[in-house]
Amino acid sequence: MSTAAASIIAVVLVSVATLAVGAFGLRVSRTMSDFYVASRGVGPILNASAISGEYLSAASFLGAAGLILARGVDMLWLPVGWTAGYLVLLVFVAAPLRRSGAYTLPDFAQLRLESIHVRRVSSLLVVAIGLLYLIPQFQGAGLTLRTLTGAPLWVGQLAVAVVVCLNVLPGGMRSVTFIQAFHYWLKLVALLTPLFFFAGMWASSRMPSGSGAVDVADWVEPLQGDHALYLTYSLVLATFFGTMGLPHVVVRFYTNRDGRAARRTTLVVLVLLAAFYVLPVLYGVLGRMFAFDLVAEGRADTVVLELPSRVFEGAVGQGLTALVAAGAFAAFLSTSTGLVVSVAGVLSQDVLRRGTGPGLRGGIRAFRLATVLAVALAVALTFVSAGVPVARAVELAFAVAASTFCPMLLLGIWWRGLTARGVIAGLVVGGGLSMTAVVATTFGADWEGWFGVIIRQPAAVTVPMAFATMVLVSVLTRATVPKHVNLTMVRLHAPENLDLDRGTFHPDPSRAGSRSGEGATARRDNVTVRRG
Amino acid sequence: MSKEAPERVDDDPNVAMQNSAEFNELRTKFRKFVFPLTALFLAWYFLYVLLSVFAKEFMGTRLFGNITWGLTLGLLQFVTTFAITMYYARWADRVFDPAAEALAQKMGGHQ
Repeated sequence: MSTAAASIIAVVLVSVATLAVGAFGLRVSRTMSDFYVASRGVGPILNASAISGEYLSAASFLGAAGLILARGVDMLWLPVGWTAGYLVLLVFVAAPLRRSGAYTLPDFAQLRLESIHVRRVSSLLVVAIGLLYLIPQFQGAGLTLRTLTGAPLWVGQLAVAVVVCLNVLPGGMRSVTFIQAFHYWLKLVALLTPLFFFAGMWASSRMPSGSGAVDVADWVEPLQGDHALYLTYSLVLATFFGTMGLPHVVVRFYTNRDGRAARRTTLVVLVLLAAFYVLPVLYGVLGRMFAFDLVAEGRADTVVLELPSRVFEGAVGQGLTALVAAGAFAAFLSTSTGLVVSVAGVLSQDVLRRGTGPGLRGGIRAFRLATVLAVALAVALTFVSAGVPVARAVELAFAVAASTFCPMLLLGIWWRGLTARGVIAGLVVGGGLSMTAVVATTFGADWEGWFGVIIRQPAAVTVPMAFATMVLVSVLTRATVPKHVNLTMVRLHAPENLDLDRGTFHPDPSRAGSRSGEGATARRDNVTVRRG
Repeated sequence: MSKEAPERVDDDPNVAMQNSAEFNELRTKFRKFVFPLTALFLAWYFLYVLLSVFAKEFMGTRLFGNITWGLTLGLLQFVTTFAITMYYARWADRVFDPAAEALAQKMGGHQ
């Protein structure tokens, strides 16, 4: 059996297993609330596995090792930031957001600012960030299948798109939780097993000598090159503050039972993520020894996939390659599934809902339509986008999230003076500037000097600008501070075990209007749907 | 819960509760713990980057083999992130939640 055949079998197995686990989850998915947030009834370990599974995307599985191979250990910052972002999210945002009862970021925006316009802008941004994050997943899938079997890029891209659709269409979030928990462990095993084999070889001193041409010493010193300080700070900011603005991450905190469970979950997530992120570093190191030619060929992203077959021959090499391929597909599938659920949730609530009739049935029909739409859009964008390295594309998605939703969430939760106009201005400035940088990078723009540096890592400039704009415009329009801000603040900050009426919130924009006085009433009539 | 529920205004008992001394104390408690903690951990991350740029010699010093201070401190960032989260979770379990619980008991009469 060839390596290609073994890899194809592994990828098919992962896809089938994913669908099977999804079908198991489907049996326990009953209501609209199940469909979106799994009824808040998921235990910390399962939930943490699911969060980690969803979070470890193509960028973590392929991209991180590729970057460390190509650019050295300063890229360690990417995984560190990805992990620490969860801490910031937990301490400042998770609990108040959970208490708010809003399912999505646009829900929160509308609830806090009592404005339908803020909701619309937020929805647009969720879709934009979601698509931006989906592109590298599909890219990674195309790359993987091409590396292993020689198939054209679109084969892998379409394969992932189809499996994601099949996953999401019937089950919604509950089945997704099971799928993603399963994927975390698969990814960990897929990267760990070859390392055990390497260690075994090392111990029996049968390790091949490798190309040996590379001086390992020149890359263990972190941060080299021009503007290293700015670029790294910018990356750190983007990852620390972008995590809370990723639509598929935030929604996960609703699936915890209470604040205590949410904290437990975060602890487990950090352990799982840190355990995982040591592995790409090791692959980067081993890649320096055995596969450094990939850098010159511009294929650093494939180091994880190619390393096993370069070191081991015969059945062992094939088997390990197939395992790694399976893990890579798990990475693409779980992250894209989570993203598609989030993007489709927003699309169906804010765009399609009105056309598909009322009630649970109409809601689910809109959700399914939105799923197909979101996947089709992402595939189309993947076809047209240039070959940006997988981890770079994800960095940019983080930068956009950090420049938009981070200031909205932090100021919204911790500052009473925020106004709807302030938020819109901030979202437009932060989102507009960071998106410009993304588009410029995607189309290969490369400017000299500081301007080019800022375009490469925009977060350190765009995040403070977004904050400043929101605060400044809010102060200027302070007469329009939301009418129910006091009530909303109680709802966000009163501890959960304080048994008071927090009011309720209706996610349907046609009913929860922004007109004065109606907001609170509309929010209140929905309690049974949410908690039922 | 019906649509006819009375309009909420700022003399709502919940809002009064928010302005009460106990509630403010609870929020102050939270801020006093969380804000310095955050400042501390951000400082530690940014210090690492500063060291990497301005103390290259030190960061490039080998501990053993190809393992340098830079690499070691970098991997330690994961450990500190976990330690800080652990510390926060323990604090929330032991200090903050009981205080919130006490307030809940006291406010129980409102509902």
